[in-house]
Amino acid sequence: MSSSVQYLLLPPFCFEVKTDIPFVASNLKQVYGPRLIDSAECPDYFVSVQKAEGIRKFYRPQARFFSDQQEPFQPLQQQQAYAMLEWGMNWCVASHEMQYVIIHAAVLAKGNKAILFPAPPGSGKSTLTAWLAFHGWRLLSDEMALIQPHSRQVTPFVRPICLKNNSIQLAKAWFPEGNFSTVASDTHKGDVIHLSPPESSWQQHTEPAEIVGIVFPNYKVDTTLDIYQLTKTQGFMQFATNAFNYGVIGTQGFSTLCNVIEQVPSFEIFYNDLSAVSEFLLQELIDGSC
Amino acid sequence: MDLANLIIQLFIVPERALQLDEAQWVPVIRILRHQQLLARYAEQLRVNQLFEQLPDYAKHHMLNTEVLANKQCHQVLFEADELVRLFAPLNVEPVFLKGAAYSLGYRLSVGKGRTYSDIDILVPKEAIIAVEQRLSLHGYFSEPMSDYDQRYYRRWTHEIPPVRHHSRGTVLDIHHNLVPPVSGRAPEMHFFDSHLQVSAEGHKMLSLAGLTLHSLIHLLFNEDFKNAFRDLTDLHLLFSQCTEQDWQQLVQLAQQTGFEFELFLASRYCETLLHSPIPKSFRQQLDKVRPNKLRMRLLDAMFLRVLCPRHPVIDRWPHKMADWLVWLRGHWLKMPLPILIWHLLAKSSKGLLVALLGKSYFEPERR
Repeated sequence: MSSSVQYLLLPPFCFEVKTDIPFVASNLKQVYGPRLIDSAECPDYFVSVQKAEGIRKFYRPQARFFSDQQEPFQPLQQQQAYAMLEWGMNWCVASHEMQYVIIHAAVLAKGNKAILFPAPPGSGKSTLTAWLAFHGWRLLSDEMALIQPHSRQVTPFVRPICLKNNSIQLAKAWFPEGNFSTVASDTHKGDVIHLSPPESSWQQHTEPAEIVGIVFPNYKVDTTLDIYQLTKTQGFMQFATNAFNYGVIGTQGFSTLCNVIEQVPSFEIFYNDLSAVSEFLLQELIDGSC
Repeated sequence: MDLANLIIQLFIVPERALQLDEAQWVPVIRILRHQQLLARYAEQLRVNQLFEQLPDYAKHHMLNTEVLANKQCHQVLFEADELVRLFAPLNVEPVFLKGAAYSLGYRLSVGKGRTYSDIDILVPKEAIIAVEQRLSLHGYFSEPMSDYDQRYYRRWTHEIPPVRHHSRGTVLDIHHNLVPPVSGRAPEMHFFDSHLQVSAEGHKMLSLAGLTLHSLIHLLFNEDFKNAFRDLTDLHLLFSQCTEQDWQQLVQLAQQTGFEFELFLASRYCETLLHSPIPKSFRQQLDKVRPNKLRMRLLDAMFLRVLCPRHPVIDRWPHKMADWLVWLRGHWLKMPLPILIWHLLAKSSKGLLVALLGKSYFEPERR
């Protein structure tokens, strides 16, 4: 069985990626382009997605994810192997990296002014992220915001955007030129696809940005755009429930989040009009901040 | 120098760390993480004031693991208080064992940077049902397990199936002895009555001699050597803290409980691999139980391989051969032949199916 070993240079981390599943290798190429390289000096994580052995090679084939020798998840159907790899890489970062406060949030920026979009799955966060990233905003992250402790600075961790269910058709219609992975159907999140952000976001993947606002998005079919400013307490509570390693890093995490919430406004928005959202963000948060 | 040797060298002579460049750290970090030793090595490098001079790559990963290890230390204090409080109405004082005891006994160097996945406690055998019930009332439930394994635990071993806290995820291993009774080697627990200590925070644990004996029994009277190198470094640190008096107690306790031979092996391999300080008089005393030449060579051939740092990037066929032999030996020690045969049959019929159908056949697909 031929296994390919390649490296993903995704500042601030580097992954060694091994797979014996051909479509995983071709998806990596499609989504990461020149970020996928043949050799790297110092990989941080050693991940692999492999075909499950035995009868599972033939009968309802499965795939298994490993972070070095550790297997954090149950096997998945083999057609979901690429999504599994993406989630596995997120897992590596969320469970090992303790020098950032890590929030489950998308991060988009204009210049070096960043807006955080923390949100649970199903809130329409990724669709909004994709739309903004392809309309002049810079993507720093789709899933995890890496905040430097005791600051408002976000370190980019540029990765593909994970779109689900109905957004897949939408995104394909909006960005016909986009670099999409194949669809993983019927996962615990429904059907998912990974979309590579525009080249400009990749180009700036080592440039940090400063948080100027926090927006909790909620997609709502019948609402153009409703905006509610949150109090500091409301903002903090919503913020903290979306933190990955908040419980582990303790005081440092708490004071960092407090610091951010005290310095920038936070909003909850209900919307169906993406360009109206973009306009609001620009006027209220980007131009309004100094 | 091969990687296993390099990692041993780094433990014995931490200054060696300064000779490694960034790229040389990559496999070292990988293996240390796999062996759950990254935080311990980080601690050693700090104590020796070498940490700040390391390349960024090494510092980055060690800092990460230090944060996790610190969190575990705090967490175990909390969990221990919780358990003491929970068992108080039953008049049961849990004795914390292994990793948890190392963390709770703050004077122990073995607790610094030691990471583990579950909390081991010892309770009197007659209280174990009450303890289990009380835990389940307070949110600790056992993991799904086959009927065979359930029965096996309760009938033959020195513990009950582990329980996990429903929200915090804390896993508890509840023991009533240090060794499975089925082996016929389970010691009378009253020997340990005079080998208990209480930490400043009021947590009960074995004395240094008791902790050391348990640690070496756990390492050598066993069939699973996945974390053997970590456990060997535990023993090194414990041995290093033993005074003359602790050694006397240790040897006496080993004699009383019938684990003198394991103490002999432990001191032999700690000394050979990690240059642990074993007092000469005790070494001579232990030489009484030294096996004949042939057996000694066979044991050395196995143990010097399984007790080394291990990772698939290091392993060659002699390692795998040694793994298999110690696995057999461990089972042989732990179970009388009829039970062993039955156990191996039950396990190998599953093993056969796994070989045929693939491991994942038995793993439910997640949705």
